[in-house]
Amino acid sequence: MQKEKCAHTWQMVNVTPCFIITEKCYHCGKISTYFSTGHNPPMEEYREGEHYWNFMESAQSIHFDLKCTKCNMLVKFDELLGVKMCTGCDENCEANTLLKKLEPERTWVYIAFGCLPVNEKKQLSKEKISILEEYFNQRRKSSKSRIKVISHEIVSNIEDCYAEVIKDVDMLSLTLPEK
Amino acid sequence: MAEELKLNLNLKRIKKVLKADVIQGKGLLSTKISGVYASDLVSDVLAYSKSGSVLLTGLCTKQVAISAYLSLFKAIIFIRGKRPNKEILEFAEEKNMIILLTENDMFEACVKIANADSNSISKFVKLIESSEKKNTSVHKFHIDGQDFSNSGLLSTQIKSILQNIGYEPYLIKRVSISAYEGEMNVVMHAKEANLTLNANEKEIQIIINDRGKGIPDIEQAMQAGYSTATEDQRALGFGSGMGLPNIKKNSDELKITSEVGKGTKVEMKFYVIQE
Amino acid sequence: MKLQEIIDKVGLKKLTNVEVRNVQGVFISDMLSDVMTNAKSGNLWLTVQTHKNTVSAANLINLAAIVVTHGKEVPQETIDLANRFYVIILGSDLSTYELVSKLIGIGLKP
Ligand SMILES: [Zn+2]
Ligand SMILES: [Zn+2]
Repeated sequence: MQKEKCAHTWQMVNVTPCFIITEKCYHCGKISTYFSTGHNPPMEEYREGEHYWNFMESAQSIHFDLKCTKCNMLVKFDELLGVKMCTGCDENCEANTLLKKLEPERTWVYIAFGCLPVNEKKQLSKEKISILEEYFNQRRKSSKSRIKVISHEIVSNIEDCYAEVIKDVDMLSLTLPEK
Repeated sequence: MAEELKLNLNLKRIKKVLKADVIQGKGLLSTKISGVYASDLVSDVLAYSKSGSVLLTGLCTKQVAISAYLSLFKAIIFIRGKRPNKEILEFAEEKNMIILLTENDMFEACVKIANADSNSISKFVKLIESSEKKNTSVHKFHIDGQDFSNSGLLSTQIKSILQNIGYEPYLIKRVSISAYEGEMNVVMHAKEANLTLNANEKEIQIIINDRGKGIPDIEQAMQAGYSTATEDQRALGFGSGMGLPNIKKNSDELKITSEVGKGTKVEMKFYVIQE
Repeated sequence: MKLQEIIDKVGLKKLTNVEVRNVQGVFISDMLSDVMTNAKSGNLWLTVQTHKNTVSAANLINLAAIVVTHGKEVPQETIDLANRFYVIILGSDLSTYELVSKLIGIGLKP
């Protein structure tokens, strides 16, 4: 006997404010990104394996998991650093091809990105990406337009991608707006 | 200097309509409020000019408390059940600020206050500043780079010193904001720095001498939005502007000298206008 | 309530192209992470944020429109991006709090 499959209804849970920290290794040029719950990133260069990381930037964001309100299934999103909207910044990128194809029906491509460097840190699975897509589309309810969530692995060069990241930069800066 | 305060509400009434908890400043609830400001942006909080207002915010960081204090807010209301940490509470206690917590979201909170507001009678009152004695004073401070937990505190100390001397509030605000930006620049970009505050009857001067990376192109750094982030971090969406343009906007004179690899010297002056 | 009705009654400036939409509720925040967590599809979003990535957040959650308060100037690149993704941006010279008073006046409720 096969169990009846749950048509999950996802809800955002375990929402934790945090900082996305960006560091760069000047020896190999690689960029490292990760979550931090405090605002005390290591400011001095430090060594990790073959890398010498230097602090570059921090931005406020959130970490969250998804939970089904019907069957209570919990899906952890520890590998998800954030989502960004593909704006078609690179003609030769597959994300752009997808956007061009889906744009007429108002389906928008969002890139779920994990921690950098891509091949040195655990990345989101295909299943989790489709759950994320399901979640955001459930939130759009009645809307005819849809969201397509893709993995950053599809992006031809994630370090050169100008997609619009959903995060809060400069929340601590005091730059006065122009009068 | 006289400033007009419009009285619409007091905090007791706000506490009631928001079903808010007062977690700091219980004894100060009869304080009159001159305005309501809803924002999560530290920069906007600082740009707000009506003193004695109440700030509604969902951003629960010490920088918000500091900027609210620098902008002469009387109270902060944290929305949607956000709870400030001990540090923020201690800061508020020290500065005589009132902190309230509400479960309402920003829209609900604004609606409830606005409804209460229209029921109340508006009056005008004059606040007269009593500040005649001005002495010359020199203070020296040390700033540690990367010390995020204490960042922003020095500017509040400077503010207190200037208040004790008795300068005009708007001048104090300009100096404190500039000092904050200078301090944050050191915390974010330098190893350490010395700050000298020189305040007399004619002018207030702040000199920050840091040991750090230095600024290769000062003209570029003075442009709003200039960032130290490289192209590839910009691609990732990271890169924040430095505070130098803000210091320029707030000061009457600004001189920056820098040696790459050694450090930067920022000298700012604020004129004291005599009546 | 129809978006056009709100625009007319409150006197909002159209900074992008505008199409027919229904507004369901109001959301106020200047934090994109907050929008991603708490905003609801069809909300009218009041904010002082004008960065391009507001378009990214508004589009993801399917917000009815962004209203930039305090008369803040919205950069052209934000407007261009919004037009491409059918995100509507409106402007108001009022403060967020003052605008809320007006919205209550025309019948919008939490
Ligand atoms: Zn389920
Ligand atoms: Zn390396």
